[in-house]
Amino acid sequence: MNLKKMNKGLDFLRGKYGAEKGEIAIKDGHCFVGTAPLLPGRMERKIVELKKMTENGTLEGVSTLRFASFAPKGSDIAAMLAKELDLAAYLGASDIVRVMAVANGSAINVLAKLANDVNVSVEIGAGLPKGETGYDRHEIIAKRGVACDQTVDTHTKHESIRCWGAKGMAEYTDVDTELFGLTYEEVWNVRAAFALLQGRADAKVWKAAWAKATKAAALAFAADRTKAAKAIAAKKGIDTNRSIKVAEVR
Amino acid sequence: MMIPLSNSNSKLQLKIKKERQEFMKPVKIAMMGMTHGHTRKYYQTLLDNQKLDWVASCAQDEDAKKTYELYKTGVPCYLDPEEMYKKHPDIEAVVIASANDRHFEQMKWCAEKGIHILSMKIPTFNMKEYDEMIAMCDKSGIVCQIELEMHYNSVVRRLKKLIADGAIGKIKSVQATNITLSPVWAFPWQGDPKASFGSVVQLKKSDPRFRGGALCDHPHIFDLIRHLTGSSFDYIYAEVAPNLRDGLKVEDMLMAVGKMKDGTAFLFDPSWSRLEEKIKVPGPGWERFPKRMEVNVTITGDKGMISCDCFGPNVYHNGAPNDRYTVQYTYFDEWVGLIDEFVDCIRNKKTPLINLKWHKETIQAMLGCYESIQSGKIAKVG
Repeated sequence: MNLKKMNKGLDFLRGKYGAEKGEIAIKDGHCFVGTAPLLPGRMERKIVELKKMTENGTLEGVSTLRFASFAPKGSDIAAMLAKELDLAAYLGASDIVRVMAVANGSAINVLAKLANDVNVSVEIGAGLPKGETGYDRHEIIAKRGVACDQTVDTHTKHESIRCWGAKGMAEYTDVDTELFGLTYEEVWNVRAAFALLQGRADAKVWKAAWAKATKAAALAFAADRTKAAKAIAAKKGIDTNRSIKVAEVR
Repeated sequence: MMIPLSNSNSKLQLKIKKERQEFMKPVKIAMMGMTHGHTRKYYQTLLDNQKLDWVASCAQDEDAKKTYELYKTGVPCYLDPEEMYKKHPDIEAVVIASANDRHFEQMKWCAEKGIHILSMKIPTFNMKEYDEMIAMCDKSGIVCQIELEMHYNSVVRRLKKLIADGAIGKIKSVQATNITLSPVWAFPWQGDPKASFGSVVQLKKSDPRFRGGALCDHPHIFDLIRHLTGSSFDYIYAEVAPNLRDGLKVEDMLMAVGKMKDGTAFLFDPSWSRLEEKIKVPGPGWERFPKRMEVNVTITGDKGMISCDCFGPNVYHNGAPNDRYTVQYTYFDEWVGLIDEFVDCIRNKKTPLINLKWHKETIQAMLGCYESIQSGKIAKVG
């Protein structure tokens, strides 16, 4: 991630729409604004749309979440898992209360349970060649409807542009006109920072949510080592899975 | 389901907005007509963009006003433009969001008052009127920007960059679709030859249909190829196919082939080839085919090839209301950039990328399609 470009993008948004002062910093590979960890996954537009579907009646009676995330060799699979477990709690609107996992080198398969009885499966793998952008999938299976951020009948991700030129094939998916030029990961970290600085996202909620997610990820690795599911006591207090309101204009 | 729109849902945001407005003078903007299919797409941007102060709307009739009020923008809506202007004499700019045959009178109304204009994508198909529009805007010194929002789509931006950078060399051929469902049930004027095309003209001898359908709804690809090639239209040949919708007075299926002056061959599909539910207010479940709108472009160059989906990837579901596999559009912020350019042109006295003079050739190419359909021969453009 290019921190300089990201903060320039953040300044642009702050200047255009207005927001309190602040900048993005990276600690241990994760982005923060001040002491608040960013949850860029929650800001991804595809996740926003999926969250809306669980809340506006498009989907009814969520039963199971099937998630996956694959990244290049050398990627931090614990961080990848924490992100996916946070999204599971967020999209499932309920905290994780139990995890079981089987790991093998750069891969880990997790079966988790939410407090509302929803099942969650997460496939994590860091085996892609270096330089690949990675691939993830978030599927929500409900009594009424299945929603997914990958299209049916394919197992490769859709890209907006494929260009076959003199140097071979290159793919492009640009998702944010205002932050054009930033990578996918950079865009959503900037959007997350902007949401915090505008007061649309709550730093306390994100701190608590990220603490829960990293704990659940650590317990997943512990479950693998002990070959036994790990329980997580449900915490009372702030709801860490509430959505950021977005308007419907379509 | 509609959620009321709001530009300020917290004290912090109100404070931020107030502070911002102390540093700049937002453009006082209004909307007129409120019957165009794109009307609702402006609401969020007009409310969010702090360079704007959306002060009023003026609906064409009670029905349009009722639909507008469903969105709960909090912005007052009038039925008489003069009443709106009397109550808001500080209006600086107007989004003309009306049927195509109302554009001339509404542009004239704005030009006479020195009000800047953001026009829908077809100012008029009457070239005499078109030239008068240019003259009246020039005379009053106002900005008149044409709404071709695809230019602010981040995929199109990447596409233009790749072409400009020479990623596939010199363009040899362009194939593009601008295919959608038909908006005629929600916006009936788009199925009315007079309201859509501006006059009642039979498509061709012994064809009961008239000009004014899908072609009038889809100028984007006719414009995009001019930007990508930097060239002008030479000639065009078009054919209409049997309609998919019974009882429609205008064409819903057609295709066009032709050549640009630099030799680029093109094939365009601007049809309403995706079926829809006959609902009066657009919303979830409108589409019967999973994807409401596709702008797909394939370009062959002398050093490579590009395949492009301007509205993908997305999110997909088969939930409510109709339990059909559906594409839920995910990256849809063209109106943000469009409005930014409009404000920049007003405040900094710039000429919009898509202005009346530039857009004239695009309209002429679309008219060339109708001429070709009528004659069965190629039509020279320009």
